[in-house]
Amino acid sequence: MTKPSIPVGIICSQHGPYQAMGREILKSTLMAVDEINNQAEFDFTVTAHVRDPRGVIAEYHTVCDDLIRNVGVEHIIGCYTSASRKQVLPIVERTDRLLWYPARYEGFECSDNVIYVGASPNHNVLPLVRYVLDNLSREIFCVGSNYVWTWETNRVTRELVTASGGRIVAERLLELGESAVGHIVDEIVRRRPPVVFNTLVGSSSYDFIRAFHAATTAAGLDIPMLSCSLCEPELKIVGSASAGCITSSAYFESIRLPENRAFVARWKARYGDDSSPSVDGQSAYVAVYLLARALQRAGASNIGEVRRAAAGFRYNSPQGPVWIDGGNNHCVLTPRLAVSNADGQFDIFWEADAPVKPDPYLTQLDVAVSPARDGASPNAPHLRVVK
Amino acid sequence: MSKPSSFSLRGRKALLVIKDERDASIVKRQFERLGIDIVASEPGGVIGGRPDIALVDDEFLPLASPAQRKFLAGCPIIALVGTETPSRLKLVLELDPASFLIKPLRSAGIYAALVMALEKNERTNELKQQVFKLEQRLRSRRIVLAAVLQVMHSRALAEPAAFALIRRTAMEQRKTIEEISAEITMNGCLPRAG
Repeated sequence: MTKPSIPVGIICSQHGPYQAMGREILKSTLMAVDEINNQAEFDFTVTAHVRDPRGVIAEYHTVCDDLIRNVGVEHIIGCYTSASRKQVLPIVERTDRLLWYPARYEGFECSDNVIYVGASPNHNVLPLVRYVLDNLSREIFCVGSNYVWTWETNRVTRELVTASGGRIVAERLLELGESAVGHIVDEIVRRRPPVVFNTLVGSSSYDFIRAFHAATTAAGLDIPMLSCSLCEPELKIVGSASAGCITSSAYFESIRLPENRAFVARWKARYGDDSSPSVDGQSAYVAVYLLARALQRAGASNIGEVRRAAAGFRYNSPQGPVWIDGGNNHCVLTPRLAVSNADGQFDIFWEADAPVKPDPYLTQLDVAVSPARDGASPNAPHLRVVK
Repeated sequence: MSKPSSFSLRGRKALLVIKDERDASIVKRQFERLGIDIVASEPGGVIGGRPDIALVDDEFLPLASPAQRKFLAGCPIIALVGTETPSRLKLVLELDPASFLIKPLRSAGIYAALVMALEKNERTNELKQQVFKLEQRLRSRRIVLAAVLQVMHSRALAEPAAFALIRRTAMEQRKTIEEISAEITMNGCLPRAG
């Protein structure tokens, strides 16, 4: 008997300044869709309807409208930047559809029509900054892309650093896609900050990391770089200059879990031994499975029932156990810190003791309190520094 | 003790005066996410503590109950606006709202409205205190003038020198010029250094 097919919209920019990430998200999404379509446990198949907004912000609205109006999808997986999510949000809310958003983001949003599968700010920014304050420095030089992710990440960083008695040495912003990074690198070499926090995205980040590495090496400087977004495919794009970056993420290819080993093996069998899954790609893969399992449990694609079915349902994903917090539609997941190595991989040196509840509004954050010793924040005794 | 940041809402207390059940449930859900406690959620209901903020539905305007008006005094108000007609807006303006939300409500916008209302209330209170201080100083100008004239007369000084002497004395005794001036006019001479 032929299984009924459920249409699902996929919105990924495969062109434009963050095309690399868009392509990674698409690859993972399609891999998950194929797996689900070949599994007997699901009594339906998923038909992926892929749209490419080409990194043009206004296009997100157009392709989302097309998917809902002309294809009739109830569920959409995709969007990468917050600006793109904000473009589709009014349509999915007005038409009561569900957007499964895979990227980690800056928080301060909680729509009933979005399932936030990526990390919340308490999963990525807080552990990284607290690790730096405890172990590296209380002075940070910030450089980032001029959009909401950087603004909010810098705001949280500033609050934590200031409360600890430290200071933000400088805050430099570049437009998305900007490649003229020389003046910022020159300033870093001249001022020699103890740490640089890089929240640039896409090609700007790659250009910056290469120039930063070349200039600091030439000047004989050893300045650690921090990131909340760098992933394995980007390490390959950047090349050897990417080694040594301290990165906060819920997923690394090097996670030692049987589910991840199997996932990576399937990934390499499909996309080649030289390729690597990314954090946002893996998150999109998780999103497809969370959606499919919720659809299976709900027995319908009605979004209210699917949302209820998704809440609290534990899935042993490649990144470890994850589930959706029914109170805020964000994902419960395990934060990790790692440092990139010369082989284009990350050496994980810290992970939370257990999956951490999402706190999209940073309601539980108390900047006046010194770094928590609760297993949800890194601290020196648990650290294993990887050289 | 430092004042709480307007961005941090955990532990704040809110009074809800909302008619529509769907709107009320959206607000309650969002408040749960933000860590805000609800002290009362119906008009005239039992108040479980002084609220830090109030959300008032325009359906309940004008407020008839003196108890409600009393509790809303000094508390920043977010008006929930369903109709943008001038007649309705006039009633909303009587509340002197610090922020507003358009009905039907959605989760988006509530956090921003809360932060803006708390921040605006904070700034308004600071401004009121400043105005109060300035009014007091304005009222005491007559006393300062009288004190200057007295010192000019008793010490045979010109007006700038008399004022400078009063100011120096005030600084030495860690008092305001107005306080020293009041002592001069009362005692008829400059107070001795303590």
